[in-house]
Parts: sequence; structure tokens; C-alpha cells
Amino acid sequence: MRDRLAEVLDRLVGASALERVLISVAALFAAVLVGGVLVFVSGGFATCRTGLDLAGWTFCYNPMQVYYELFLGALGHPLEGGWQLTNFGLATTLQRTTLLIFAGLSVAVAFRAGLLNIGTQGQLVVGGLATAVTVVYAAAIVPGGFIGTVVLIPLGVFAGAVVGGFYGAIPGVLKAYGDANEVITTIMLNFVATGVTATILSWQFQDPNSNNPQTRPVPEYAEIPNLPLIGFSGRMDFSLLALAFAVALMIGIAWLFARTSFGYELRTSGLQPEAAAYGGVDERRMTVASMTLSGALGGIGGAFWVLMVHGRWLENVPSLGFDGIAVSVLAGNSPVGVGAAAFLFGVLQSGSRSIGTGTDVPPELVGILSGLIILFVAMPEFFRMLGLRFRPAGTSQPARADGGEGGDVDE
Amino acid sequence: MSDLVSKRTAGAAAALTVVWIVVGLLAPDSWPGVLLSIAASPNTHTATLRLAVPIALAAIGGIFAEKSGVINIGIEGLLIVSGFSSIVATYWLGSGSTTLGLSNHWWGLVVGVLISVLFALLFAVVCIEFKADQIIAGLAVWLIALGLAPFVSRIVFGSPNATTMGTFKPVTVPVLSEIPILGYLLFDTPPQVYLMLFGAVAGWYLLFRTSFGRWVVASGENPKALDTAGVDVRKVRYAAVLLSGVFAGLGGAGFALGQLGTFAGGGQTDIAGRGFIAIATYLLANYHPIGALLGSFLFAGLNSMQNGLQAAGYAIPTELIRTIPYATVIVVLVFVGRTRLPEAAGEDYESGED
Amino acid sequence: MSDSGAGTTDGTGPKTGVDAGTADRKSTGSDLAVHLDGITKRFPGVVANDDVDLRVERGTVHALLGENGAGKTTLMNVLYGLYEPEEGRVVVDGEDRSFGSPRDAIDAGIGMIHQHFMLVDPMTVAENIALGNEPTKWFGMAVDRERIDREIRDLCDRYGFDVDPDATIEDVSVGVQQRVEILKALFRGAEVLILDEPTAVLTPQEVEGLYEVLEELTDQGKTIIFITHKLEEATHAADAITVLRDGKSVGTVDPGGTSRKELAERMVGREVLLEAESEPAEAGDVVLSADDVTVRDARDIEVVSEIDLDVRAGEILGIAGVDGNGQAELVEAITGLETPDEGTITYDGTDITEWSRRQRIEQGMAYIPEDRHERGLVMPFDLVENGVLGSQRSPRFATSGRIDWPGVRDHTEEIIETYDVRPPDADADAQSLSGGNQQKFIVGREFERDPSLVVATHPTRGVDIGSTEFIHERLLDLRREGVAILLVSSNLEEVQALSDRLAVIYEGEFIDVTTPEDVTEEELGLLMAGQRPDQRDAAGSVGGDDR
Repeated sequence: MRDRLAEVLDRLVGASALERVLISVAALFAAVLVGGVLVFVSGGFATCRTGLDLAGWTFCYNPMQVYYELFLGALGHPLEGGWQLTNFGLATTLQRTTLLIFAGLSVAVAFRAGLLNIGTQGQLVVGGLATAVTVVYAAAIVPGGFIGTVVLIPLGVFAGAVVGGFYGAIPGVLKAYGDANEVITTIMLNFVATGVTATILSWQFQDPNSNNPQTRPVPEYAEIPNLPLIGFSGRMDFSLLALAFAVALMIGIAWLFARTSFGYELRTSGLQPEAAAYGGVDERRMTVASMTLSGALGGIGGAFWVLMVHGRWLENVPSLGFDGIAVSVLAGNSPVGVGAAAFLFGVLQSGSRSIGTGTDVPPELVGILSGLIILFVAMPEFFRMLGLRFRPAGTSQPARADGGEGGDVDE
Repeated sequence: MSDLVSKRTAGAAAALTVVWIVVGLLAPDSWPGVLLSIAASPNTHTATLRLAVPIALAAIGGIFAEKSGVINIGIEGLLIVSGFSSIVATYWLGSGSTTLGLSNHWWGLVVGVLISVLFALLFAVVCIEFKADQIIAGLAVWLIALGLAPFVSRIVFGSPNATTMGTFKPVTVPVLSEIPILGYLLFDTPPQVYLMLFGAVAGWYLLFRTSFGRWVVASGENPKALDTAGVDVRKVRYAAVLLSGVFAGLGGAGFALGQLGTFAGGGQTDIAGRGFIAIATYLLANYHPIGALLGSFLFAGLNSMQNGLQAAGYAIPTELIRTIPYATVIVVLVFVGRTRLPEAAGEDYESGED
Repeated sequence: MSDSGAGTTDGTGPKTGVDAGTADRKSTGSDLAVHLDGITKRFPGVVANDDVDLRVERGTVHALLGENGAGKTTLMNVLYGLYEPEEGRVVVDGEDRSFGSPRDAIDAGIGMIHQHFMLVDPMTVAENIALGNEPTKWFGMAVDRERIDREIRDLCDRYGFDVDPDATIEDVSVGVQQRVEILKALFRGAEVLILDEPTAVLTPQEVEGLYEVLEELTDQGKTIIFITHKLEEATHAADAITVLRDGKSVGTVDPGGTSRKELAERMVGREVLLEAESEPAEAGDVVLSADDVTVRDARDIEVVSEIDLDVRAGEILGIAGVDGNGQAELVEAITGLETPDEGTITYDGTDITEWSRRQRIEQGMAYIPEDRHERGLVMPFDLVENGVLGSQRSPRFATSGRIDWPGVRDHTEEIIETYDVRPPDADADAQSLSGGNQQKFIVGREFERDPSLVVATHPTRGVDIGSTEFIHERLLDLRREGVAILLVSSNLEEVQALSDRLAVIYEGEFIDVTTPEDVTEEELGLLMAGQRPDQRDAAGSVGGDDR
């Protein structure tokens, strides 16, 4: 039995793609476990009327209940009566999934090129504002109705992509030609994006009918339409069309990586920049190009946030860009993996609402969970060591047929 | 060539400063004049010193970690956890009273530093023991802290923001505080500023005058050389990362208890990127603790000038002004982009590899 | 894999196992400084040391001679505590020792000077010497720098070194760095010094200096173990020579009483002579030429100074030189990885100085890079993906931005077959191949580009003998087909055997351009050390001649 297990583990350790999936799943479980302990312990410091009494200390929170709300609340409580497929919880989950696919792809494209783009948030913020402003102003000259939908939505998404792409290109140029570390510049540009968009908003585009810092709404026909019959209702702020577009984009990026010369060069640059230069890739141009593409994807995320969720741009943009980092890291920066990871984080974010309504636990728990997931995914060695402990001692390491590293032993 | 560029930049900056001062003196009501009066006001100076605390201390801590070969980008997270945990601890013990003869504010500082060191230990284990990617692990520490601060605040205060706790009182050194300018700056100031000044000197001494400092440098430049000289690279790196936790903890807790008196855990929290600014600061200072202290004055000065401008009632959008320090970081990074990172920074080291 | 040893061993050489007699010749029992008894050290799939004995007498220079990969460095790492042996005893000063770490070995009076110096470049000489052993003052609160300086000065006086303790390592020459390494060991009280290939990075003059240092050290009672693969050095400097082959000891000899030929045969196990294929070149038109090419490094120092060269079709131009004399930068300027600061590069009559790397590849320039792990291959990619590196945008494999993967796979399988890459699996990751097979794959990919110019840098470095011969034959085939070839190598035999013309580079300049027939190996060595041709006669000859 133990031998069989060892064999299985051996084979798994050998297969790197499968190993990555396993590590991601293990990281998820580890994060949930640590999060559960955190919830339980912090319950000891909260005040409540009923709780678990242990040695004179009252623990208010029940981790099981929290995770029940988190995971099932996100699907609209399928185990309880009166459940419908098109429920509000699931709509929120899929809405977040859609947005997180864009954000996750944005981060993944940069990561695969060897660039840590922490600036997806800022690219999404400026892209979203560009979308809202473009659509609001273009609506004045474009006829309404179906034609308006067909013209304004692509125009808005395009505007978001262009401005987001431009904003992503800035740290790319600074890295390529000024050798400025992109981690720091993109984080700084997030703060700059918040300040600059707020300024632009109050300078020109503030909705005169509101005290909230927000733009005027786009016309209703310029919001992403719902599919009749099988779709979710309009009030749920989710459209299957948008999800379909996100999935198509995801497949497109996967295709770009696998099949095109550009994708090949991008991956080579990310793995071994020296080899890329040897193979004729212009490192600087690749840095700018991949950051631009990454920024454009972030901008598209902002565009869909505007056109699908609120119908306008608000100053208080949710931290989709940061969650995109977690999505991409969990997905091992693979575009298809981003889809799965985005759904998982969609569940977490949608579930955080149910936690807020169904329990006394602060919904910020979800933020901690994302951080923990990244932390665990970052240390595959931890799980490998864990895996090795289950192997019987003395299992020899696989030997190479020709005796190791060839002529490099004595160099 | 890069030397030439930086010389030219420094020259241009100096020339601009001279023009600014001359115009400012000649026309006190003009833009440069107002800026000059803000820059010259004692309020701006004291505010600069206080705002420099988290940046300078975090930067000095970051120097040790990065010099030893572990890039600690999670320093922002360390500032956050130490800041809010110091406030929470002070709140629990009771603000304004004492425990075991020591003011509860001081106990809050101790707790803040301990929590920061705990997080640094976690980060060190993940990076050194489990060979995690240092940048990703650092981002994780930051994101965990971003979630943890409002989470705990909600449990303790029922809101993402802590209640107001009051700050450290300035400590006035008799006689010395009477010295013009230096007196009110250095000898009539809250304790966290003394901590910062002392920390910079201590950091410099530790790095350049002790054998531990030499080992830290060797561990980041050529860990194998250190290993073959019989020093355990892992221990040195653990010590350096924990030290970064101590410094960042002093910075975060000192800032929360001495300047804010409370801690807002929502959004980017009250730390608002100061940890990342600290990283830019030590790169600008080329890993010199005293240089990092001076560099932090640049960013803190911009911050306090911005506050001064707002107080002067100028009709410029506050949001835009608030971005000035961040934009400055970017400009600085482009000009110091060629700061040489330690040779082995970011790589894990395993003894016995050949 | 068990005890059968690594790679090519057959163990049938006539001299194998002739041990005893000579080794015990001078041994007087207690006078052994180091005695390694039956050391066996295994790595996954390799037996690096197989029951090796080594007896080193106090106050002598003891050479450990063997080819690359024979297990010399592994044996010394065992003595230095970096590896723990599976079997055998380590005896130092007559006492059984077991070293868990270098610290233990240092405490037992053993010092090691690694082939790649273990120095921290931005720190000073003094800081490096004392690293890990800093004397302190004020109860450990500060490093006692005065004491370090004093002790270093004492050591320098005693052994006749001239080293400035306050200089920064990156500013001093390689020869001085080596002395710093020796001082570092002496500072720690080393009685036994292990030097791993100490001459590899030195000029002949510096080598002479090193011999003097070794003599001074042994005169004062220190014991030296000298690892080398060069016969001449072993016979010149050592009092006793132990030969290692394929991880086994093949005997200890007295350098005075053994001929070089005998030593060579022990070392290699068979007679190996590189036969030059000396059919005359039928050189055609100039394919590549460089005019006054100058390259400066990041610190604005000229590393290539006004170099002129021409390579004709059907000709091999060899560039010989000690590593680090500008050949890498010259090659980068030619292949487009770097733009020269001055001068022009012409290819097929066109000025390509400003061309990108990709344009040069498309024009028919093949390039075997110096570093196959960093440049030549993308290690995590499989061979199919590596097969298209450099051609990812060429019309042959890509149409309108899409790569024709089936076509690439066919091409890759062809390379694997033609160039005998093993294992013959196009889906294997590049990092899973041995060094020789990696190199054969790169050579295949570059040669199958149908090039008109091949730039080959150290094409056989770290490659086994079989693959080396194969790569040499392919180079000569291409020459026959009329390809222009620029060959850069620090391996004298290689450049001499293959080149039609030979340029010697020293500190960024060609100090002589000649033909292999007109120059002996010794003369070549002197040229590489910077001795200009007109000074050659005065220099005399060093040692005997293998040719």
C-alpha cells in the first residue's frame, strides 16, 4: 500500500503540469485551513452572546459556518430550499469571475514575460474612466437602441484597452530604457492613477446630480446586454455575453502563447532573457510590448467593470487588480488556469458578502485568504517536502542514463 | 556615462533650487514665494521628521534583508501589521494608563515590533527554508497584512478604522532644546524620532563596523565565499530578515503611536505605500543607512509640504498633490535605476552545491 | 546505477593499479600531513571517487593530476568538509577526522583555494581575508581592524607577498586575488593548503610567481596539494604526483623518475592525439570583416581595441587567447548582441554594424554561443521549442506570425538524428540532456540554418571526447562546403588543429596573426600571455615539447 502510494507520488512529482495543479489545490486547502484557525482564534477576542466556551474563554466564530456561507453562499445556497440557477449569489460570483479573468490575464501576460506587473489595478482604474467618459460623450452623437449598443460597447472597450495599454506601457518604457524596477514603479503608478483619475473626475466629468464622486451614467443601451431566456436578470449586474467574451479572450491569449512567434518570444524572454536575445528578440521592445498588452487587458477589465456592473465609473474602484495577482499566481500564470482560478476567487468575493450578512465574521477574511493562497503557492518546496515524508526512506533519486551533467562535473 | 547623467541632474536640481529661493525671496506672494515660506516654516520641518519615521526605519531594515540576499518587498506589510497591532495592544491595555510602571503606549510599541518580527520570521522561513520566490512571498505578506488590518479592526473596534488613542508626548531635552533650529528639531521631539535617529546610526554601525555586518554583505554578494569561510549563510540571512522586522516594526508602531494615534485599516491603510517608498529610498541611498535617513527626508518633506500647501488653502486638487511623493519615487528610480543589487539577491542558497 | 563508475571507464589500461612501490618510497610513517584512505563518494548516477588513497607528506607540494571529471575536486571537497564520503577515512596529522563542514576542516588547519575564487568583490582585501574569522574588540562590539591589518602585514612580510590590504577585490588583478585567497587560508592558521587548478586563470609570468610562492610556503613547513590537469605544471612544481582517472587513483609517482609520456598515458588511459586535417584551404571571397572595432564596457574601459579581421569563404579563422581578453565582447559585436562603440562590421559586402541580431540571423549567420545554459538553449523548453530558437520569425517556420509547429518538430527530429543527440526524444527538456548532447543539439540547429558564416565560441568546452571529435569534423565539413568560420577558443590544441589562420588576442588587441604551421604551442602560449612576436626570441623556451 505504501509502495503504491510512493509510486503514485513519484509519478506526480515527475509530471510538472500536474504537479502545478496539485500544488495550487494544496495551497488552497492550506490557506483555508490556516484561515479557519485564524477565524476560530479571532472569535476568542470578539464579543457575542452565544459561542463555544472553552476553559472560560468564549469563541464566537465557527469556521465551518463561515466556510459554509463563503462557498455555498457564493452559489446561492444550493443545499437550501427554493434554489434557482439564476440566483443573485451565483450572478455575483460569475460577475467577479468575468472581471477577474481580465485582471488575471493582465498579470499573467506580464509574469510570463518575466515582468511583475503589480499595476493592473491602476491600469484598470484609468481604463475604466476612459471607457465611461468615451461612452458618455459618444452617446451624444451615436443613435440609441441596437445601433448604439453595437457601436458604443466596442468603442468603450477599445477606449479602455488603449488607455490601460498606454498606462501599462509607462512602466514598460521606464524598465526598458531607464532600468527602473517595474514592481516599485507599477505600485507607485497605482497610487498616481487614483489621484489623477480623482482629479480628472472632479475637474470635468463629475455627475452633477450626485454627491458621490462618480461619472454620469452611460445610457442603458450601452451596458453589456443580457441574453434573453437563459440569462440572468438585468438587476444582477451580470451578463453571460461578458463571460463568453472573457473566456474567448482567455483562449486567445493561450493561443497567442502557444502558437505565435510573438508568444514564443514572450515566453522565452520570461524564462531566459539571455537566450531570447541570442534568438533575436529585442529585449526592450518585448518589455514595452508585453507591458502594453498587459495594461490593455487590465483596461478591458476596467471597461467591463463600468459597462457591466455600475454603468458608470466610481472613484471607489474595487481591488480587482490586486486580486488578479492572486488569480495569476494560483493559475501558475497559465491563461487557461486563470479561468479556473478566477472562478475560485469569484466564489471567495461573492461569498464574502454572504459572510457579511450570514455571520459576524468580518468579510475582510477573504483578503487574508487570497494572501495566504499566494504565500502557499509561492513555496512549492513546502508541499514537495510534505510529499517526500510520505515516501518510504531509501527511495533513490532517479539517475540519468548517461551519468549526470555530462562534462560539467569538474568545471 | 551614468555618472555624467547624475552629475548633470544634480547640477540642474541645484540651479532650480537657487532660482526658486531667489524668486521666492523677491516675490513672497508668488507661487515660489509661498512654497518657500512653507518650506522654511518650523511646522514643515517637524512634520518632515515625524513623517520620515516609517520610511527611514523600514528602509534601514530593508537594507539588511536585501544586503543579505533576501529582497524583502513585504516591508509594506510589516509596517501595516506593526502599526495596527501597536494600536490594538495600546487599546486593550488602556490608553493613557501604565502597566508595570511603563506607559501603555510603550507596551503597544513593544507588541507592534514583536508582531512585525513574527511576520518577518514567517517570511524568512518561507524564503529560506522553502525556497519561495522572494518577490511573490513578499507580495503575499503585503496582501495578508492588507486583509488582516481591517479584519482585526472590525473585531476589536467594530469598524475597519481604530478609535483614536492619543500619541506619544514630545520629549524635551533641557538646555539642548534651546539651540536654534537644531534644538526644536532634534531635542524637542516625540520619542519615535529619537528612535529613528538612533536606528540610523545603529544600522550604520552594525553594517559597517561589526563582523555581522561583513557577513551580511558577503551573504548577499557571494554566499559561497561566506560558507567556505565557515559561516552559516542561512543563519546570517535569518538574522538579517528578522532585523528588518525589528526596524520596520519600530517604524510602523512608532508612526501609528507617535504620529497617527489611530490606524485606518481600510483601502491601502494609513501606511499607504510608505513601505514601497522605503524600498525606493534605500535604492536611492545605495544601501547606506545614513543615506536612507536623508533620502526619507526627501519623501517626507514632499509629504509635509503638500500638507502645508493644503493648509495654505490653495485651490489645487488635493488628490493630485497627494500623488507627488509617489511620482517622485518613479522619477528617482529612473535616475538611480543603475543601483547595483547585491550579486546573489533573490536567489536561495544551499550549502554543498557545486 | 551502482558501482560501475561514470561514463567511459573500462579499466583495462595497462598501467591501472600500479600503485604501491613508488608511493611508499619516501614515506616515513608519522610525517604524513594528510592521509586519505579508501575514499568513496557517490552522486546520483555517478561514482565520483572510488576507493581513492592519497598520502601527502608534510612540507611538500603534492600534485593531484587528472583530466576534467576525474574526481580531483570532489576528493578535495571531501578533505575540506564540503562533502561527506560514503566510505573511507580522513587522517590529518595522524588523527582520524570527520569533517561535517568547512569550519571543521579550517579548525584542523586545512585551507582551500578554489578554482573560482571565494572572494566578495565589493569588499576590501583585508575584509575578505578576515571574513568569518574577524578578531573583535569592545566585547565583540566591533571588528578590530588594526589587528587584521597588522596580522596581514606580518603574513605578507613572512612569505614575501606584496598586497595592499585596503584595495577592493574587484580592482586588483587575478594574480593578486589568488594571493588574497592564500593569505585567507594562512590567516586562519592553515598548515595544509589545497589549490584547485590554480594556474587556469594566470598568465605564465603569474604562474612563475605562484611557483615561487609555493616554494616559500613549503620551505616554511606548509603542505600544498595542487590540483591540475596540466602535465607540465605537475612535473614542474610538485614533489610527488598522484594521478586520478575516472574517479580512481592510478598511482603516485615521483616527477623526476617518470617520463611525461608515461604520465600522460596514465592520466588518459589511452593515447589521444588530435590529428589536424590539414588539407589546404581554398579560401574564397571575404564574407565577414571587421574594421577598427572598439567595444567599451559599462565602466567605459576599452575591452576590444580597434580590431581588424577578415574571414573568407571556406576558411577557418581561429582566435586564441586567455579568457577575458575581449574575445567575448568581439563576438557579441559581430553577432549583434552588442553594438560596437566604434568601427564597422561588414557581412557579404553590406555594412551590418547597426543591424539587429535578428537581421543577422536572417542573413545567414550561425552562432554557437559560449554559454549553452544561458544563451544557447532555453533550459525548461523541450527540444522542439529549442529547435526554432532564432528562426521563430523566419519564413521557413512561421507564416504571418504563426509558428508551424509540425514543421519545427520534423526539423528538430532531423537535427537529433543527424547530430546523434541522445536520448533521441524531441519532447525531452533541454535541461535533461547531458552537456555534450546539449552542445551537439545547438551545433546541429546552427549548422542546419544553411549558414554562410559560422561564429563558434568554445564549441567543445565541457564536451566529452566523442562529441568533440564529431563537432570538429562537422566544422571541417562546413569549411569544405565554402562556409566562412570564425572559431574562438582558449583550447590551444583545438585552434591549432582546425584553423587556417590564427589570430592571438590579448587585452582587446590582436597581437599576432599567423598560421598554425608557423607557430609552436609554446610560442602561442607566450603570445597569449601578451609577449609580442618581436620579443619572442629573447624569451627562450619553457619546458619540453609535446609536438
